[in-house]
Amino acid sequence: MSYGRIEHHPVLGPLPPAATLSFSFDGNNYKAREGESVAAALLANGVRTLRLHEEHGSPRGIYCNIGHCMECRVTISGITGVRSCLTQVKNGMDVRSGTVLPSPFRQTTEAERSPSL
Amino acid sequence: MNAIYDLIVVGAGPAGLAAAGSAAQAGLKVLLLDEFMKLGGRLLGQLHQEPGGAWWNGIREAELLVLGAQEAGADIATGVSVTGLERTDNNGWTLWTTQGCYRTPFVLLATGAAESANPLPGWTLPGVMSIGAAQVMTNVQRVRVGNRGVVIGMSVLAMAIMSELRLAGIELAAIVLPPGNALSGKDSNPEAVLDSLLRFANLAPNAMLKYGAKFLQNSMLRNLALNLYPKQGIRMLDVPLQLRRCAIEIVGRDAVEGVLVADITPRGEPIAGSERVVEADFVCIAGGLYPLVELAAVAGCPFRYVPELGGHVPVHGENMQTLLPGLYVAGNITGVESAKVAIAQGRVAGLSIAFSAAAEKAPGEAEIKDAMEQVKLTRHEALIQFHPDIARSRAKLYQIEIV
Amino acid sequence: MKETSIIVCRCEEVTLEQIREAIRQHGCSARETKLRTRAGMGICGGRTCRPLLERLMVPLEGDHASELPLKIQPPVRPVSFAQWGRSL
Repeated sequence: MSYGRIEHHPVLGPLPPAATLSFSFDGNNYKAREGESVAAALLANGVRTLRLHEEHGSPRGIYCNIGHCMECRVTISGITGVRSCLTQVKNGMDVRSGTVLPSPFRQTTEAERSPSL
Repeated sequence: MNAIYDLIVVGAGPAGLAAAGSAAQAGLKVLLLDEFMKLGGRLLGQLHQEPGGAWWNGIREAELLVLGAQEAGADIATGVSVTGLERTDNNGWTLWTTQGCYRTPFVLLATGAAESANPLPGWTLPGVMSIGAAQVMTNVQRVRVGNRGVVIGMSVLAMAIMSELRLAGIELAAIVLPPGNALSGKDSNPEAVLDSLLRFANLAPNAMLKYGAKFLQNSMLRNLALNLYPKQGIRMLDVPLQLRRCAIEIVGRDAVEGVLVADITPRGEPIAGSERVVEADFVCIAGGLYPLVELAAVAGCPFRYVPELGGHVPVHGENMQTLLPGLYVAGNITGVESAKVAIAQGRVAGLSIAFSAAAEKAPGEAEIKDAMEQVKLTRHEALIQFHPDIARSRAKLYQIEIV
Repeated sequence: MKETSIIVCRCEEVTLEQIREAIRQHGCSARETKLRTRAGMGICGGRTCRPLLERLMVPLEGDHASELPLKIQPPVRPVSFAQWGRSL
């Protein structure tokens, strides 16, 4: 599914010209307009799931779009926790989604705990 | 450690931009920081028609403010987040950012407001966003948020953004109330919501909204109107305003596929058997705004809880100074109001700081007084009064002694 | 309304039921509720759920007029240790 951009706006006018950039998300290549955020570029390309919740794996996407909620965080060029709504796309950018992390200590209840520890 | 600035302004929205401009104009060396990629803050997304028919275009208004600040000589940086603020022993402030650390005698916090939500099952699904997120995506990023949406929550802010989405050609299937629970309170009660909407009947930000609200007002006797209110809603800008329907749950597997709604009584109780799914691929949660006060809190500002202003606000005077020396606030951090009020407050803050710093071209007390009068005048003339008691609450707040 | 399926704190996936149950069982303060449930302790620092938690907890809190019900700690945005170190 592709949402695309608002090319013509009755008050704001036509979309101003911008250079086309290429970037990748989880290894897939996408096009972006220079100056737009990673989150916006991905949404324009129909990508809405930006990460899975670290513990439960529930899918997450853009929520506040202005850097408050951290829901849209991705990994860019190896740096984790980058807010995609505040980050402009750069040509050749390597963007990765977040995924479930191991939680080895999570399910240990009182009864299961080894007395020797 | 960078110590060359007289004033660092945090937040380049309407208040921060106006303050940076007037302080730099008065001769201060000013740095303005914002974490977003564009300057203007929430002002950027605003787009509505004024009573005379002219458009209030936030992007253009922001450009004018940016130009003013730049021409006055303020330095501006985007993409910088401020992470901490601490008072240093030699009467100054240390400001930590993602691009280094600054020392400065004066700090202005113009961090604006954040959105609050009315949560419901399914609201973490991709495609569910705050209504402000949809505004920024539509008017600033110019990307379509989806093909068919449902707005959950009815407030004057929701109505304004709804009309902006429609203007951009985005289809909205319905506006419904949030489900009644321990969190939603009055927001899920049709009577209370209708009351708050009617209050804005004459102040609605465009002719269509005004017409819609007038229609409601004329057709009441309020209770009668609520009882007769059509379940399918009253259409406004081609969107059914469903005051007698609430969202129960947002449905979808990997992303939004629809919203389960139910008819409700005039008091907001769901009517059994009336549930049905409205198809949608995006949902906007319209909760409300609250002052974003984090940096004032870590700096050690005392607060007051003022519901009329949106929540906890740092105690400050009419000259925008907090109880901490050298620390000022302006814009929505001091209470949720329109961008025009924020601009006027920013000017007051910029001038007060220049006065206090004995800047080269510092304003006289009369000039600051004029600027403070301008805030009141702007508030009085504002199209959108976020709360009817703002002026009174502010007057009360300003009576707190500033030592 | 199914409180079990209403997530209040999105970062830590804490539900309305879990928070209300903690408050009911322990009659706890805002801070204690936060520590028991982890609501508001996620990466966003509580920016999304803070007003919601306050709505649930204010009635129990009494009137501490000049303070926020839930304390805010620096850094107010996540920073890496490298970034934090460089800025000192």
